[in-house]
Amino acid sequence: MFFRVMDKDRLPDLVRGLAAEYEVIGPIAKGDEFVFAIVSDPTELRLDYDTTILPPKKHFMPPTESLMSFRVQDSEVVGEELDRTPRVLFGLHPCDINGLMLMDNVFLQGYEDPYYKARRESTLIVGLNCMPHEGCFCKAWGTDEVHWGFDIFLSDLGDRYFVSVRSVEGADLLDRCVETRQITPEDTAEFQRVASEFQASFEGQPDTSQVPLLLDAKYDDPIWEELGSRCLSCGACSMVCPTCYCFDVRDRLEPDGQEGTRERVWDSCLYIDFAEVAHGHNFRASRAARVKNRYYHKQWGYLSKFERVLCVGCGRCASACKADINPRIVIEALQAGGGSL
Amino acid sequence: MNPTAVRRLAAYEQLSANPYRPWPARITSITELTDKETLFELRLIDDDVRDAFKFESGQFVEVSIFGVGEAPISISSAPSKQGFIELCVRNAGDVTGALHSRQCGDIVGLRGPFGRGFPFEEMKGNDVLLVAGGLGIAPLKSLINHIHDTRHEFGKVTILYGSRSPEEVLFARQFDMWRHRDDFDLHLTVDQPDETWDGDVGLVTNLFERVDVDPAKTFGAICGPPVMYKYVVAEMRAKGMEADRIYVSFERRMKCGFGKCGHCGVGHQYACIDGPVFNYWEAMNLQEAM
Repeated sequence: MFFRVMDKDRLPDLVRGLAAEYEVIGPIAKGDEFVFAIVSDPTELRLDYDTTILPPKKHFMPPTESLMSFRVQDSEVVGEELDRTPRVLFGLHPCDINGLMLMDNVFLQGYEDPYYKARRESTLIVGLNCMPHEGCFCKAWGTDEVHWGFDIFLSDLGDRYFVSVRSVEGADLLDRCVETRQITPEDTAEFQRVASEFQASFEGQPDTSQVPLLLDAKYDDPIWEELGSRCLSCGACSMVCPTCYCFDVRDRLEPDGQEGTRERVWDSCLYIDFAEVAHGHNFRASRAARVKNRYYHKQWGYLSKFERVLCVGCGRCASACKADINPRIVIEALQAGGGSL
Repeated sequence: MNPTAVRRLAAYEQLSANPYRPWPARITSITELTDKETLFELRLIDDDVRDAFKFESGQFVEVSIFGVGEAPISISSAPSKQGFIELCVRNAGDVTGALHSRQCGDIVGLRGPFGRGFPFEEMKGNDVLLVAGGLGIAPLKSLINHIHDTRHEFGKVTILYGSRSPEEVLFARQFDMWRHRDDFDLHLTVDQPDETWDGDVGLVTNLFERVDVDPAKTFGAICGPPVMYKYVVAEMRAKGMEADRIYVSFERRMKCGFGKCGHCGVGHQYACIDGPVFNYWEAMNLQEAM
């Protein structure tokens, strides 16, 4: 990794330079909130965003995507398209970059998922530093920082960006698109100061040190029944989660019934039929079992395979949940001895 | 490498390049086993894909009916028989219903094989006690057939198979022929007998009182409805069998088949890649397993 400094007024040059070669996706305003969407003009970019409604996972695994088109008669696959559109995801915060790396473990290890892989390989990541907002608890999981997983990373130093350059593609890009200069000791000192200020501004982070232990010990705790009685099984938490990857596969037939498309759609383990098998047995028929599974999978099951929990503390689920269920509340309840919320 | 090997390697790479892609397979035989279950014999059409398809007893495939969807089905034939697979399928859902409406010669899609099967090599030289309930005989049938084809490599082989009623006994004709074989100790039982039934009556666990087990040299293999496992495991444990010599095969909703879609989670594992066959030591340390 090496570092450069870019004056802030050069930002439009960078975005325009990128847009000449890539589809640029970045945070833009939508009502009072923000979304990751195609940026057609650099002035649309809202690098002051706190968080977005949906995480960037939709650009690697869209809510609905075609896996293949088929012919019914002879069960032949007639089309299989991988999306290799050159893209840049611009302005991702550390939590979301960490979220992508957790998704990579699932989709790029063992059997590789060709659809995810094609998009991932065609997408550059431009990270952006942030300041914690009310819902953030990334620091609790150690996902408040990233040291890899991006091509370039912009740290805001007021009138300029401290640019961390991680990949060859990132270095080339910077070279081609925008004027930057060498870092000075003053830049480095300011970069350090901003990083320290960021670290110091987290408040009320949950203590996650015992989470796997607590989950193990309190598998049969009444807290799960209580959470189950509150959960609406709406799945909103899964949809907005940067690390929820479960999906369903559905076939859609053309009107002639001869050809069709096999599609992958986002799914949620909170939906009632998620673990139901053919002749009706449902391995998680109760809402309590489903809520419990979500937390066990994220903070125990995934941990057992990849040595990380499957949560980056972005806080989106806390905003999305109408029943006030989120990791913070669950962790605190488990620590408080469980039993009751 | 010779041209055939190169071609087969390419086919193998093709098979694994997109694990979501089903390959056309022809239905070469249909045998009605009961009024709900049918045995389908399938043959992958492409020669190289068929040659590249290698499986173990206990593994499953995804059967694909384009326009309807996919269903995970365990393979019932033995790996010792190459070139085709047999699937014992209950008409229970959209995909299996559509499969039941297909005829000999029709083409369906196949993906796989997926999952971890029974430890066949490790079992060699030992006694094997197989316990099935209902449709749970389907994956065990592959193991039974495989043992049959290499019978001299195993010690005593005992099969306990429980069904609800005589009409629901799967592979009844073959088991009927095996009743008097002395190299397989076969016990069939039903909950609800009729006047034609001359086998045992009652739960499959009742049969244990007539089974002698040498726990140090016996492997157990269990598959059946979810409620059955803990009772059968308890019987095996009571016979002195160690937890890690008892193998259970779990049914879950394997949608993708290779650890991505999340549907077949059992505790912290996925039935599709970590199982569907687990030993009981693993299963007892797995929430939601039994």
